[in-house]
Amino acid sequence: MPAKYHIHVRRVPPRFSPVAKSTIIDWGEGCLRCTRCVKEQCPVDAYRKRGFDRSQFVDTIDEICRDCYRCVQGCPRELIFKAANPQFGQVGDEYWTPEILAATWYQAETGKIPVSGAGYGGPFAGPGFDSFWTDMSEIVRPTRDGIHGREYISTSIDLGRKPMFLTFDDQGELEWTPPPLLELPLPILLAQPSLGANPGRMQEIIVQAAHSLGTLAILARDRLVPVPAETTGRIMPSYTAGSLNLDDPLLSQVRALEILDHPQVLEQVEALKKRYPELIVSIKVPADGQVVCRVAELTAAGAEIIHIYASEQARGLGDCQDQHLKDLIRRCHLRLVEDQLRDTVTLLVSGGIALAEHVAKAIICGADAIIVDLPLLLALECRLCRQCAQNGPCPVEIDKLTVKRGAQRQINLMGAWNNQLLEILGAMGMREVRRLRGEVGRAMFIEDLEKEIFAPLFAQREGEALKREPT
Amino acid sequence: MEVVIFACQQAVPEPEALRNLWDRGEVRLRVLAEPCSSKVEAFQLLRTLATSVDLVWVIGCEERLCRYDEGSHRAGGRMAYTKRYLQEIGLEPARVGRSVLTPGDQAALAAIVAEIDKRLQSLGPSPLRQAPNAAARRSVP
Repeated sequence: MPAKYHIHVRRVPPRFSPVAKSTIIDWGEGCLRCTRCVKEQCPVDAYRKRGFDRSQFVDTIDEICRDCYRCVQGCPRELIFKAANPQFGQVGDEYWTPEILAATWYQAETGKIPVSGAGYGGPFAGPGFDSFWTDMSEIVRPTRDGIHGREYISTSIDLGRKPMFLTFDDQGELEWTPPPLLELPLPILLAQPSLGANPGRMQEIIVQAAHSLGTLAILARDRLVPVPAETTGRIMPSYTAGSLNLDDPLLSQVRALEILDHPQVLEQVEALKKRYPELIVSIKVPADGQVVCRVAELTAAGAEIIHIYASEQARGLGDCQDQHLKDLIRRCHLRLVEDQLRDTVTLLVSGGIALAEHVAKAIICGADAIIVDLPLLLALECRLCRQCAQNGPCPVEIDKLTVKRGAQRQINLMGAWNNQLLEILGAMGMREVRRLRGEVGRAMFIEDLEKEIFAPLFAQREGEALKREPT
Repeated sequence: MEVVIFACQQAVPEPEALRNLWDRGEVRLRVLAEPCSSKVEAFQLLRTLATSVDLVWVIGCEERLCRYDEGSHRAGGRMAYTKRYLQEIGLEPARVGRSVLTPGDQAALAAIVAEIDKRLQSLGPSPLRQAPNAAARRSVP
């Protein structure tokens, strides 16, 4: 049995105080000078440890506070309050909510699964990825030794074209060489986000993290910075339509590459495969109105990997902006199933993958693996202020971050995501993430449930008149 | 130069509006939204002034309109204490300031911005910027 895949997480404290969800208002002026002040009884010693963050001009007490309300309830003159922190509501945006940012920061710092505490106060359903639940029907008891003690759950996936059958000659040898395959230990590839101060440093961090995780880092070839030689093999260079040069020395050092879709892409792939038969080629297709047809067409023509990319908010592009990525993945997957070609091609998806559950849900909808981009930036304490897009200063100085520190925070985030994926797979009774692909039987769609539960209640009985007839 | 404004979220519901009113591009303005002006403690004002900031300002609600009843009153007391403290240690008390307004009063907000601008022009850069260990102090995380 192969060694278990394990991501080595290590706590990396933030350089800047994370924006706290709530804040303490302390009216110390009216203090009665009690013999035993409630501030001295703080279980996390927040009042003694508090300091001042010179870069953000904030009191660090809110970062330490664990919201136990002991001081609020205990002060005899009621001089301490807790209030929602308005600064927390200002980070992120409508899709990348403050809660997503805070959860990402926590996971990048600790490598642990965020636990919200007693009870869940939020909604149980919503749009997009929140419109379906994963079926955890196999949870029968709490595990004694956690996810690492169970029978091995594999999160490995294969990148590349898979033959539907093999043919052998009279000697029992394969008649043809099967296409190259690349096994990744987790269904996540890393990609450079469109934002971020010092993109060169960001590339180094991502490549280092990909190297440690055993996955690939998708980076634009034209902006690629030199990286340590031992990590070059982890790069999956991305080329725009006209930028691919077959004499590029990088092509002989990498295992896979990506080309943006264009009308002559198949000819380009053919020329590339002729010269570099061991290279695995991914074709990057926009998630627009033509995506389903284009994916089917490229698969039929022999594409090895297809990368469907959506917007940052997990929405389609062009004429498909009203559609969610999950629906587009599902349509592409079902079309390939219909064409009896699904198992031949690897489908990668990107755009709006913000939480660990989105990985499992995208795979349930039909993707083989996901590509994560923006959360890698959030892992580096990014506030998503987007000032870097206007060449403004980065409030958390991501440009000054060391590669080692940044890579470890990204490794921590992926470690936490991987553990959550293992939890989901374990709770579903699955031992392999490959089996999760397109497995909608393991998901409950709110729309279907509502129809199933409420339709019989409100349906008109057969033969019953709409209005009661006068007697 | 740099100005930091701690703004009560009731008094200034949209900090972006405050930023938009500021038209001096060469001066960096940072607006920090607070649940109440009484959230800002004296040590926070002093420590902020000890960085590269030239002027610190607190905007709160009028006392009778404070959501926390006593919050605005207490913020006033803290401001007076901070000014006295600055005077005692030989720094300009005018480097910190406070204004109150009726929540949502845009004209009052514009007047406050003009007042901050005028104060900054009269004070000039903070003497702490020229202090011998200022560079080292700024680089401390």
